Formats: sequence, C-alpha cells, structure tokens
Amino acid sequence: MTQRTDPVARIEGVTKSFGKTIALHQMNLQIASGEFVTFLGPSGCGKSTTLRILGGFETPDTGRIILNGQDVTALPPNRRKVNMVFQDYALFPHMTTRRNIAFGLELKGLSRRAIDARIDELAAFLQLADYLDRRPDQLSGGQRQRVALARALAPDPEMLLLDEPLGALDAKLRTQVQIELKNIQRRTNKAFFFVTHDQEEALTMSDRIVVMNQGRIEQDGTPEELYFRPASRFVAEFIGETNLLEATFRGIEGDAAVIDWLGNPLRCNPAGQGFAPGAAVTASVRPERIAVSADRPATENAVEARIVTSIFKGSRYLLELAVNGTRVSAYADSPVAADQGASVWLGWSRSSISLIGD
Amino acid sequence: MTRHTRILMSCIYWAFALYLLLPLALMMLMGFKDARFIGFPITSWTLDWYIGVFADRQVMFTFGYSTLIAILSTAIALVVGTWIAVTLTGRAFFGRAVILGLTLLPAVIPGVISAIAFRIYARVLGIEPGMWAIIWSHAVHNVPFVVLVVMARLSTLPRSQAEAARDLGADPLVVFFRITMPYLTPAMIGAGVFCMLLSFDDFVRSYFLGGYDPTLPVLIFAKLRSGMSPEVNAISTVVLVLTAVLGIWAERSMRRIKKQANR
Repeated sequence: MTQRTDPVARIEGVTKSFGKTIALHQMNLQIASGEFVTFLGPSGCGKSTTLRILGGFETPDTGRIILNGQDVTALPPNRRKVNMVFQDYALFPHMTTRRNIAFGLELKGLSRRAIDARIDELAAFLQLADYLDRRPDQLSGGQRQRVALARALAPDPEMLLLDEPLGALDAKLRTQVQIELKNIQRRTNKAFFFVTHDQEEALTMSDRIVVMNQGRIEQDGTPEELYFRPASRFVAEFIGETNLLEATFRGIEGDAAVIDWLGNPLRCNPAGQGFAPGAAVTASVRPERIAVSADRPATENAVEARIVTSIFKGSRYLLELAVNGTRVSAYADSPVAADQGASVWLGWSRSSISLIGD
Repeated sequence: MTRHTRILMSCIYWAFALYLLLPLALMMLMGFKDARFIGFPITSWTLDWYIGVFADRQVMFTFGYSTLIAILSTAIALVVGTWIAVTLTGRAFFGRAVILGLTLLPAVIPGVISAIAFRIYARVLGIEPGMWAIIWSHAVHNVPFVVLVVMARLSTLPRSQAEAARDLGADPLVVFFRITMPYLTPAMIGAGVFCMLLSFDDFVRSYFLGGYDPTLPVLIFAKLRSGMSPEVNAISTVVLVLTAVLGIWAERSMRRIKKQANR
C-alpha cells in the first residue's frame, strides 16, 4: 500500500484506563490522509476509546495525539478539525436536515450565502435535496445516516471519525451503504477512521484494518493481509471462517516448511518466525481454499477425509468433513460427493496455509 | 382479570371519581342559586353571581395581582431551578448530594412553618410585606419542583447530543442554549404551569407575607369570614375552569413537543 502523504493523525504511546480497567496499552498508530482505516475488534477492545480520544472526548493518561503536525492532546473537541459520525447519529431532533448540516458551518462563522452553498453541495452529493426541510423523526434510517454524514463533512474536517454508524441499519441496506460510504470516502479523499465489530464490514470498505484485542493492536494491515496471513490465532478466528489445524513443526525441506498434522505432512510457505522442529504450530486454512475431489488431487497437500454433513447454501455446498476424527469445513460447487460417509480427498496449495505460532 | 373483578374495579373507580367531583359540582351549582345563602333547596336560578364576579373591580384586580405574582415567581423558579438541575446533572462533584437535599427541602417543609420563617427572614432583611415578598417565597417554594422535572428530562438527553454539538465547534454555552434548552422546553412548560398553579393556589405564604392587597385565595378567605354566599362559589368556579383549561393546554402542548423531540 502506498503512503500518500504525511500522516494526518498520529497516536503516540497512548495509554488510557477507566478505573482498574486498562482500555488502551501504549498505542502507536499513524493514519495517512485519504486512507480508510478500520478499527476492528470485539466490544471492550479499546477501539471506541481510541476514536473518542482522537475526537477529544477522552483525555489519554499518557501519550500524545498529533493532528496535521499539531499536538492536540489538550484541545477540547470544538477546537479540533476532526468530525464524528455517532453510533446513534446524534442528529438534533428539533432541527431540520438543513439546520443540522448548517450547525457546524454557523459556528465556523461562515456567511449565510456560503453556508447555503455548502449545504446545497452536500445535499446533491449525498442525495438529500428532497429532505432538507424535514426533521430527523421524518427520515428513514438510511436518510438519517446520510444527514449525520453530511453534517460531519460540512465543516471540511481533516479526518472523519465514524463510530459503528451502520449498526442501526438492517442487513440489506447495510451492504448498500457500505459500498456507498466507500465511494464517498474515495471522492472526498479524506481520512476515514471507522470503528466496527463486524469483520465483513471492515473487509468491504477498508484500505487498512487494525485488529484490536484487550487494548492492544493484534495486527495492522490490508484486508488481504489480514485474511490470508493472520498474525495470530485471534485474528484468524475473528476474520472470516477458518480451519485451525493443530500441527507439529517438522522442519524446512527445500523451499517449503513442513508441518505434521494428524500424521499427514503438509507443505507451507516458510513463515517469517522461525519454529524449532517439534514445536506446536497452528495452521490456518480457509474453507474456500480447500478443493474437494473424489480422486487424489495433484495439489501439493492432499488429505483423505470422510463427509459428515453437506449443507446446501444456495450458491454452493458447505461440507463438514472428518480427518481422522478432526472436523474440517470446506466448500463444494456441486454435490459431487455429497453422500454422507463417502470418502473424498481434500487438496490445497501451500500458499493457502498460514502458520501461526501459539 | 376475571369479569367480576373488572366490574368491581370499575365500580370502585366511579365511586372514587364521584367522591372527588361531587363537591366541585355542588360548588358550581350553588353559584347559580338566586338567594343569599348556600344550601338546598334551590328554588330559583340566576346568573347574577357570575356576572357579579366580572363586574367586581376588587375581584378582577385581585385576579390580575395573583396572576402577576404567579408569572414572576414562576419565571424566577424556572431560571434558578433549571440552573441547579443542569449543574447537578453534570459531572459528580463534592457535596452534590447535600446540595440536592437542600434544594428539595422547601417542597417538604410544612407551609405554615416556612411561611413563618419567611416572615421572620423578610423582617431581618428589611423586605416589606407585599408583592415582592410573596413572589420571593413562592419562587423558593417552587424551585424543587422545577429541579425534579427538569432533572428527569435531562437524564433522558443522550450524551451524544452534547458531544455532537461540541464536535461541530460549539463551546459549552452554545451547547446549552442551542441543544440542551430546546430539549428541556417541554419539561420547562410543564414545570412552569405547575408552579403557576401552585403559586396561584397558595394561601399560607401569601397571607403571612402579604401587604394591603390580598391575593385571590386571601380575598376568598376574607369573603368567607363574612358568611358563605353564592358569590364565593361563582369566584371559585371561574378560577377552577381557568386553571383546568391551563392545565389541559400545558399537558397537550408538552406531549406534542416531546413527540417531536424524542426521536
């Protein structure tokens, strides 16, 4: 991924605790301008705290927040050039869409004419022109979400903070809004700092995902990196579905690392971290990367398995299989060998395996 | 609930409603009696007593006087009460529970005792008995009601509302006037009407702190001492109707504004 310009935001050694609970441990992070960064993690992992510290709603115990080269750690929210889209949108109920969007512009001291021009521009951009004179209670969930976005974008912030803004939308609308939001981000070319616990949402929209767990960063990378090369068991399990194979490291043979899983030798790409022969390792293999066939496949890794169940999922079949009594899931395009108890072969390439140390 | 209990419950309800409303109905009825004394039988009817109320300059003046006291004391109670409620709802600080307790105290002190205390205090401070002394005592008495109603409303204001305003560049003062105040409007209307009715209705404080001009309850009391006549019934009925209308209007407009503001 290309680093476009200087970072728009830097989090330097930030620690924050609430009473005895430590929400953030020594966090360091940079956000480049024009970047869509998602903070992903279970509730209580510290992702919202990070967002609130960036917005100025919480003061870190230690560390600094730098926005565009300026230390803003001590500045209140109204003096930071970042804006936030709240989880409940926090639209002002007694104001129309127009007044809501105008709020930040009026406080910037813009002229009436400049404010109207900016509102019209945003209304056209976010398809809100027909709803400018309605109050929030007369808008649908998706419309409210766009008003919240328009209001936050209006003062032209250096960075936009979004706190799970899609949580209140129904599933169908959500997918649509995800794509819309990504497009809006590309067109405004602003840094978006998005917080969610939904891994699918994170994968769909982000340039970069920061996975958090218990106040620490587990992994920081592109969606592809996180999905195919998870750095930890936590990341592998949190993002997508995966098979975690408990194996033993055997050694390097030629250009491949070989592990032993239930008596089957599996060849993988040598991982950066060196394992000692005999060490316990976990291998993550995504179900969709496993090919199921009746005969022994030509792939590097092939294992014999028995079909336990086959579930029709519409576009494909989800197979639950057993390899020497250990459960593995895989997908099949057609019900080739969907008979229960039938013996099949599973095959996958070495690049489909990622090794995780425990 | 079985059918029998339901019938029993509604009987009890209507009996209670009758018990409450019958005296009021009797009072209204007696105002139409064409005689000097109250009591059955009513042999002839007249509107003279009601016409008399509106023609009586003293009654009309006193009505205005009481209304003025109610409006001014309510205005003071609203400002002070909202101020206290907002202060107490913010961050926790040392002595908060004590302040809340002291704030609510005037609501539970017996009227006579607080009236005497006010009278003594007014003399010490050199406040003359009269309109301002009454307004002062009514305002103090009404503050707790404003605080309670406004605090209840304030507790339902999502934290994100103020945060969103701060985020968009508002300082705390702008947040208060543009976000908090509009949200509190229905509560303030409700508390205000309640305070006005309390003030309008108050006898003890007005009696102890009043000067030469009586408030309406004090005037009615004076009239009663010279004998029960249908005139008093007519005055009371007019007051009853006006306050009921005010109360119903406040309730309705409060509900309307709340409905707007609650989404």
